[in-house]
Amino acid sequence: MSDFVYFFTFQDSSIAFVVIGIILLGVGSAYVGTYSFLDKKALLGDAISHAVLPGICLGFILAGTKNPIYIVSGAFFSGALATFLSSWLRKNTRLSEDAIIASILSIFFGFGIVLLTVIQKSGNPEMAGLNQFIFGNAIAILEEDLWIYGGLAVFIILTLTAFQKEFSLLVFNAEYGSAIGYPMGLIRLVFNVLMILSVIIGIQAIGVVLMAALLITPGAAARFWTDKLSYLVILAGVFSAVSGVLGTYISFVLPQMPTGPWVVVFLSLVALISFLFAPKRGVISRYISRRSYLKRTHQDHLLKALYRAGEKDKTNLSIEEIYETYPFQKKESNQSIKYLTKKGFIIQNQSFITLTSKGKSESKRIVRLHRLWELYLNEYMNIAPDHVHDSAEKLEHILTPELEQLLESRLNYPKLDPHQETIPRDNDEL
Amino acid sequence: MINHVESPILEIHDLTVSYDQSPVLWNVDLSLPSGKLIGILGPNGAGKSTLIKAIMGLVAPSGGYVKLFDKTLEEVRSRISYVPQRESVDWNFPASVLDVVMMGTYGKLGLFKRPGKKEREIAMECLEKVGMQGFAKRQISELSGGQQQRVFIGRSLAQNADLYLMDEPFAGVDMATESAIFELLQQMTSEGKTVVVVHHDIYSAVNYFDWFIMLNLHLVASGPKEAVMTEDLLRKTYGGKLNLLTKVSELIRQKEFNPLKN
Repeated sequence: MSDFVYFFTFQDSSIAFVVIGIILLGVGSAYVGTYSFLDKKALLGDAISHAVLPGICLGFILAGTKNPIYIVSGAFFSGALATFLSSWLRKNTRLSEDAIIASILSIFFGFGIVLLTVIQKSGNPEMAGLNQFIFGNAIAILEEDLWIYGGLAVFIILTLTAFQKEFSLLVFNAEYGSAIGYPMGLIRLVFNVLMILSVIIGIQAIGVVLMAALLITPGAAARFWTDKLSYLVILAGVFSAVSGVLGTYISFVLPQMPTGPWVVVFLSLVALISFLFAPKRGVISRYISRRSYLKRTHQDHLLKALYRAGEKDKTNLSIEEIYETYPFQKKESNQSIKYLTKKGFIIQNQSFITLTSKGKSESKRIVRLHRLWELYLNEYMNIAPDHVHDSAEKLEHILTPELEQLLESRLNYPKLDPHQETIPRDNDEL
Repeated sequence: MINHVESPILEIHDLTVSYDQSPVLWNVDLSLPSGKLIGILGPNGAGKSTLIKAIMGLVAPSGGYVKLFDKTLEEVRSRISYVPQRESVDWNFPASVLDVVMMGTYGKLGLFKRPGKKEREIAMECLEKVGMQGFAKRQISELSGGQQQRVFIGRSLAQNADLYLMDEPFAGVDMATESAIFELLQQMTSEGKTVVVVHHDIYSAVNYFDWFIMLNLHLVASGPKEAVMTEDLLRKTYGGKLNLLTKVSELIRQKEFNPLKN
């Protein structure tokens, strides 16, 4: 607990630096990543994040120390080379995009690991901690690192904000952008530079390999919650910053823990929560709305059964008869009876069920939709009368009053359906 | 049957376009009058969309040139508006109808600058013209095919151009939308604008357009409706691909380089 208070009150200025750094880099990479996710270029981010490793090692070899300027320049150089190679190969060979991305990723990363091993064998005392560039260690961020990495993050955020309209055009309809005279090639180039930079800002804190997760996961998770680009970007930034700070906290409390993997763990948690619980798109809310739809269809069918009994001059149905109509659905039938009674559609008298006047009008509506649809299929789509029932059985639950009106007028307020059964109207006797 | 016109709005001179080396358009040479509703007809894969893209500079020709208003494309770009095929974009992109129509104002707005109140007003006016003013705030993912097409045409109107090039604006739209769009296009030409439309349905085309371009890898005909709507020309356009031309294309594709490139 005292660790918690110590960390989050920022008594230690070095912790404040780390937290500011991780928030900036989280927001910056989530911002770029959201656009590349929308552009369906998620894999390119993965390739770049692996491809910067050889550059980092070369920067280290040239500088002889962990000089951030050499390391950032090296990383940028090899990231840019990888991006350029991937687009050059796509243009000039018949290789498919996934093959190109996969080979660039593994070739560059493999080469990076070779260089890393060479450095470790060289016995340079400065090499301690170079391993951190693979999985990241946020706590090791120093003030001078913050100026470089934080500065780059701010640069990314400002550039993306200034060019918001251009990048949206690039992702949504680049061809149209060219047609109105925008230099789309140049805009794509600027965007690729931002992608590379957004990987680079994370090499110290998160590590090269896991930066791909920080690019793509926040945007993908935020997409579950909103349809608006502005909200999407903000939400992705918040997800990323929160996960970043929590991951840093863990590696502060447990010093042997690397930051990157923990940030990714928290990010995955956010993504999982979004996937499950987001309204409308989340799995659970989709499950719930499907369940409630199925319940409603069962209630509709029950009302219909009572109506059809009425057509045969039977004013009620016994519960046993209802169970027989829907075998294996005893529980659902009981639920429907309970619900419809509560809503005042039916009255239960001992074991007999009767429609109320409200229930009559509702049951007529459902039967009417069913039979109107059957007639429509038969008349307009030339489907034989014995083939129309199944479709009507499904559509009677979803046809809106406007569509009902349209069907009525198209079919000229018909009296009978294709099976010569009466299409009931509200003022008909039952 | 190729009618050339005096002081054309669009002049295409010996245009050849290749994809992956194999030519998809051979030596197209035509000129178009202004103020007309012009239809581009031809079977699938005849090069209709390619012709429009080549005019807009979206695909590089391997030979020939295009002149608009007797100038190069770069000099008159703001007077030309392009409507891409509806399927060419991802409609799940998180944007509202108004956002997309506002893109039509970006050309005049230029880089860096953000659209403001004036651009919003232009976009709303154009939405009204295509009968979509009630949908301004709607997400584009919720639109039907016909509504998407209207949004694209609305965006194009926001450019306030003199020449409109539309790629299949009638594809996948219902009858009501089709006649609404057609009326709009007619109104535009009566105001002196020129509208060139790629169209797939030859039966409705006869009623819609006053000038036709008929393509089938090469230019079959270009001229006023009365002159080119003949059985003979239609048979040449739709009567299968020219066997020899396809064979030559195949031959070129198998070379290691493109012999047609300048």
